Amino acid sequence: MADDILFELLHSEIINYSLEQSKDSNEKKETDLSVVEYIGFAAGYKIMERLTREWPRFKDELDTMKFICTDFWTCIYKKQIDNLRTNHQGVYVLQDNAFRFLTNFSNGHQYLEYAPRYVAYTCGLIRGGLANLCINSVVTAEVQNMPSCKFHIHVQRT
Amino acid sequence: MAVCVAVIGKDNSPLYIGGIGNDTNTDNELSRQWLVHTALDALEERLATTNTNTTGTNTNAARTDLRDLYLGLLYSTDTHKIYGYVTNTRVKLVLVTSSISPSGSNIRDAEVRTALRRLHALYADAICNPFHLPGDQITSPKFDKQVKSLMLNNV
Repeated sequence: MADDILFELLHSEIINYSLEQSKDSNEKKETDLSVVEYIGFAAGYKIMERLTREWPRFKDELDTMKFICTDFWTCIYKKQIDNLRTNHQGVYVLQDNAFRFLTNFSNGHQYLEYAPRYVAYTCGLIRGGLANLCINSVVTAEVQNMPSCKFHIHVQRT
Repeated sequence: MAVCVAVIGKDNSPLYIGGIGNDTNTDNELSRQWLVHTALDALEERLATTNTNTTGTNTNAARTDLRDLYLGLLYSTDTHKIYGYVTNTRVKLVLVTSSISPSGSNIRDAEVRTALRRLHALYADAICNPFHLPGDQITSPKFDKQVKSLMLNNV
């Protein structure tokens, strides 16, 4: 579908652009993805307000995570999260076996070093969505085998 | 007759307070703020019972009722009635009506519910403005206009 392609192309251009910017500002080899993460955060924050409009109040944190895995993910990536795991102490692992931004690259270890660039936006997206639901968290991603991706959510309790 | 509508943020800071009719002038700003804030305690109380109910052993019917975003009549004074609505994102929407309506007929619960649902939709649209930062006051004239017409037409 055309609208999906638009989102994917825009996403990859944002990443290219921010990489280009960070290359200009300093000559370090590390790439700065905090801007991309922040764009994701702002988007997630605003999407959540719309998405939960017709939804009954969430019972607890796990209920909220289930919402992220099903409705939130379906809204953005047209599929659900394949696996949700938790230790019931504020750590959640969301596994997507065919993460959309990675499916076009490879089915193996090729380009593995570039994978982190393409998950930063989604980390921000999850963090922003949760922040609007009053759950402060740190979201990191892990890519071991190319199309599949794991998102680790650490809920900050203070 | 709705006289005032307010949007209160997560941290109980007012994001938007608007009034119509006699209440539009700035002299009444303080009384409007006061009216809205008297309702916040009642609102917090309702939310707290929602949380204990889910862990406790309350009846299922009560629980599903409390999971509704619309909280109903929160508080009534001699002159005003205050209705509340809390979104999933902990943003509180408050609608104040005068108890002594000029037409003499009492306002129906369903009307307030639809008005607050529409206000929620308007709020979600206002939030989606990319220049609006979360937690800031809503200064959009479009939002203001839409809310005013909502107050005039619907309730």
